[in-house]
Amino acid sequence: MTVKECYEQMGGDYEDVMGRLRKDERVQKFLLKFLDDKSYGLLCSSLEEKNMEEAFRAAHTIKGVCQNLSITGLYHSSSELSERLRNGQAYGEDIEPLLAQVKADYEKVRDCIGRLA
Amino acid sequence: MSQKENIREKKKILIVDDSEINRSLLSDMLSSEYDIIEAENGLEAAGILHQQEYMIALMLLDIVMPVMDGFEMLAVMNQNGWIKSIPVIMISAETVPAYVDRAYDLGVQDYISRPFDERIVQRRVVNTILLFAKQKELEYMVTDQIMEKERESRLMVDILSNIVEFRNGESGLHVLHIRMLTEFFLKRLLEKTDQFGISRTDISLITNASALHDIGKIAIPSRILNKSGKLTDEEFATMKTHTLEGAKLLQSVPMRENEPLVKLSYQICRWHHERYDGRGYPDGLKGDEIPIAAQVVALADVYDALTSERVYKPAFPHEKAVEMILNNECGVFNPILMECLRDSAEFLQEELETVSRKQNSQEELWGTVERMMEADKLNVSDRTVKLLEHERVKYQFFAELSQEIQFEYTTVPEMLSLSEWGAKFLQMPETILNPKESDFGTKVFSEADFESLLSKVEATTPKEPVLEEHYLLNINGMERWHRVIVRSMWENNNESPVYTGAIGKMVDIHEDVETIKHLRLMADYDPLTGLLNHKSARAQISAHLSDTENGKYILLLFDLDHFKLANDTYGHLFGDEVLKFVAEIIKNNIRSMDIAARMGGDEFLVFMPHKDTIEAQVKRIFGLLSSKYQDFQISVSMGVSDAKDSGGDYDTLFRMADEALYRAKRGGRNKYCFYWDE
Repeated sequence: MTVKECYEQMGGDYEDVMGRLRKDERVQKFLLKFLDDKSYGLLCSSLEEKNMEEAFRAAHTIKGVCQNLSITGLYHSSSELSERLRNGQAYGEDIEPLLAQVKADYEKVRDCIGRLA
Repeated sequence: MSQKENIREKKKILIVDDSEINRSLLSDMLSSEYDIIEAENGLEAAGILHQQEYMIALMLLDIVMPVMDGFEMLAVMNQNGWIKSIPVIMISAETVPAYVDRAYDLGVQDYISRPFDERIVQRRVVNTILLFAKQKELEYMVTDQIMEKERESRLMVDILSNIVEFRNGESGLHVLHIRMLTEFFLKRLLEKTDQFGISRTDISLITNASALHDIGKIAIPSRILNKSGKLTDEEFATMKTHTLEGAKLLQSVPMRENEPLVKLSYQICRWHHERYDGRGYPDGLKGDEIPIAAQVVALADVYDALTSERVYKPAFPHEKAVEMILNNECGVFNPILMECLRDSAEFLQEELETVSRKQNSQEELWGTVERMMEADKLNVSDRTVKLLEHERVKYQFFAELSQEIQFEYTTVPEMLSLSEWGAKFLQMPETILNPKESDFGTKVFSEADFESLLSKVEATTPKEPVLEEHYLLNINGMERWHRVIVRSMWENNNESPVYTGAIGKMVDIHEDVETIKHLRLMADYDPLTGLLNHKSARAQISAHLSDTENGKYILLLFDLDHFKLANDTYGHLFGDEVLKFVAEIIKNNIRSMDIAARMGGDEFLVFMPHKDTIEAQVKRIFGLLSSKYQDFQISVSMGVSDAKDSGGDYDTLFRMADEALYRAKRGGRNKYCFYWDE
């Protein structure tokens, strides 16, 4: 699978990322790095522990990286979650659907990147 | 690092972001042009800045980070002044205006929001680095100008303070007026023409120099200077010499004769009484032969003289003064200067009154510098001052820690400066004039020691300038041994070095000296009995034997009878007690010129001068030794030899005594034998 196909399948904006980062290889390199990033694991575990500050920073980092890599779907869901977590707001049930969406988007992104040639 | 590498060295950029991906994204975009250093959070970044502040050309800073976030980092950078030496570009997905505003308030130069665009990032970085370099350059220029100003005013203070005591009462306000008028006329002149080639910098220089126009008056007797009536021809001739005297004074300012300020002052002093028509003094220069600086000051001088009260005249009102000058009643001036006067006539009076109310000129100059420093326009030199302060604190700390008294000594003027700690410790001022007469040179050091130290320092050479001596110093009433280490200082004067003073320190080594003394004593004495040991006794006795003057000596060598029995019966500790007891008997019964020693084991010797009756002397000692310690009956076997038989050789003397001792033992113990009784 090419980088372009990967973006189409995972709900990303290929044109946008190429416009900014300029090289296919560079984009691919950072997509692969994204899989190694600890933020997603950190987000899940810190929400379980109700460590809201840590959770906010993790969601925020995912959002920032997705923004940089134009992974639009995950960017939106992580963005919504990080707004909900901002300023150490208390845990509530409303977080669950937001987290579920982030999880779904992340799984999709991971699968797609995993299939990159 | 080789020079070549040095030249090719890239600028360093510090990227501070908690996300590794974001850091490497930026690094990827910038690493072809820059060296990249990465930090995961503010704290790590601060650590890097502590070490490499001056290596880093730019910092990219994220806001949301664990441990220390971007805003906290900016606060730290403000505290440490780093924000002034390192431009910061904020990076964040946050676009909330409040965030951005706060970042700018905290001193960031620019702001890049996510997502990163390679070209935007590169351009922002380049622009920021360039812009910052430009700002720094401007800062340096401002600083240079201020330093220049500071130097001038300092020189001014130097000169003025030297002469101010000679001044008469009129001058305070007069100097202020002259400065103000000179500046005023010069500005008008510059508006009218550039024929004199005066720049803005020149205006400030000439204005400063104008204050010195009358310094030659210090050479004029005050009888003439302050005379209320008309001067006689002779007196007026003397008065006129103040122009040349002033010029002479300025010529003799050491090493400064080429300073623009000094040159201009020279012109002003010498020629501010010349007239445009050539009928002035002292040189009768005509027209523009008279330097423009002197022409302007001449006009200012006359105007102020007219409008001020003097011992010989009342003050004229402003209009009257201008009228008199324009009518050539008080000299002849350059027509263009007359125009300047006419143009500015309306403003002059008001201005003069304002200036009069201000404080004196030096304070004004210093005020400017202070104001600029307060307004934080002196960032660069500010930082330098901070760094120097840092060094000073560090030096002081270590000096204090080492408990050393550090000092600096200069020969001209003869002066001693003590380190802050040293001065406090000695309860003396930090600066001591004429140290030879001071408590430092007469009480801390004895007068003789201090003299000798100074002459020893002076006797060093530039090649071997370091000297180390030990002195017993009086520190706050206590005698303490000190090691004094001094390095002489030299100035190269036409190849031949001139001794200018020294730097050094005094280290308390009293404890060490005492320890060494103690160890030396220990080495000389038998630790059990406190008597000398054989080695030192031998040395002392040998010294006496070689001294043929006091030739009459005997040596008594003895050991305790059946001492082994005491040890075996009562134990070694008891044996030691017996030995000590015997030693006490000896110590209590010998004279100061006698030498007593324990040879080891139970063997002792006593070396003493004798009169004619040797036997009585020996018998007395022998009798004293025959005593009792607890249940142990003490007796000795003793051999005696005479120094006159020894040929002045200790070993011979000893051998003879030993032989006699052997005979005493063989003869049944508890007795003494003389070697010569064979």
